[in-house]
Amino acid sequence: MGPATVYAKNPDYVQREVAGECILVPIRRSLTDSNSIYVLNETGAVLWRRIDGARSLQDITAAFLDEYDVTAERLTQDFETLLTDLLSIQAIDEVSVADGPAD
Amino acid sequence: MVQQTKLSQLPARFPLVCQWEITCRCNLRCVMCYTDCRNRPDFVRHELATDEILRLMDEMAEAGTLEICLTGGEPLARPDFFTLYEHAIRQGFLVTLFTNGTLIHEAEADYFAGLRPLRIEISLHGVTPQTFERVTLGTGSYRRCLEAVGFLLDRRLPLVLKSTALTLNRHEILAIKRYVDSLGTVPFKLGEELRPDLNGSNEPFRYALSEQEVTVLNQEDTELREETCRQKTATPMPCESGMHRFHIDAYGRLQLCSGNRAESYDLRRGSFREGFFNVLPTFACEWKAARTTDLIRPVVHHA
Repeated sequence: MGPATVYAKNPDYVQREVAGECILVPIRRSLTDSNSIYVLNETGAVLWRRIDGARSLQDITAAFLDEYDVTAERLTQDFETLLTDLLSIQAIDEVSVADGPAD
Repeated sequence: MVQQTKLSQLPARFPLVCQWEITCRCNLRCVMCYTDCRNRPDFVRHELATDEILRLMDEMAEAGTLEICLTGGEPLARPDFFTLYEHAIRQGFLVTLFTNGTLIHEAEADYFAGLRPLRIEISLHGVTPQTFERVTLGTGSYRRCLEAVGFLLDRRLPLVLKSTALTLNRHEILAIKRYVDSLGTVPFKLGEELRPDLNGSNEPFRYALSEQEVTVLNQEDTELREETCRQKTATPMPCESGMHRFHIDAYGRLQLCSGNRAESYDLRRGSFREGFFNVLPTFACEWKAARTTDLIRPVVHHA
């Protein structure tokens, strides 16, 4: 998980907007241990929406800092936690540098 | 990111859960079934078409609906069932399926294992072919139902088995419960409620147990007795029909719930948002307590 890392969404997770909340629904439930949905906080929702298989973590962070009143240190910490969570449920994957950015 | 099974913060009215009777078609003719009177070609012709159902699913997803229960009739009796099911799953709905199980073979079970539902609930009417098929009027339905249970369990799919206590299977209810218990991880639900069929006939009540028979049945099993006691002493949960839940019938009519079809909104003619947010609140329900209904009129309005 470095600044140059690029992440792509796993298409087996569907993003839904329900009552003002951004949630992730796993559509291949064998990926998870239970019938869970994942509720993203505001920062998590912004990060999730910007993960596109092309932009690096650094690009996403820089754009976020331009728009929101948050310190780089705090944002980096929050993003690391969120990315760890998203990786642990296989909602995102690292895009291999050798492969180049995903389409 | 928080892992949850339910959303906790919802407006007082929000279209979270849909029960959708996608067809009245069925390969069985269960004696107490309230939709079987519409299991005829002249009614089937008027059921929603594939593209209509897909469009409505899209509208519901956009409005925020999260859970869909597909029921019937027998949902798998629709030739397009898996088109509808897959669309629902890929839209991110949590899908529960109510089925008689008899149309689930290995291929269907494999399909569900690939795109897992939230839950599959199968009606189990007896533990002998004689009793089971006196209820379903379908030769071979007992064997096919149990085979389906096996296929689903082999694939560790989330299964619930349920029975309706009837005069025809009263003597096997406890055996059904013991069979389900022997499966280890499968919850069992026992229902006693029957309702008039959709054409208004009281024919299903011919098979209802008397109050005394229900009491005796509950006394024969500790868990049934405890559940009955719990229901009698617990404060009733507020009815969420029309608030967080709604019902759609096979013809695209939006209603408060499957038990109150006195008023409908035609989703073929208008949008889901219009129906849920503007029209459904004007529907009446004689059972809904006033304190639970800031928008639904709690007045008697049935014919």
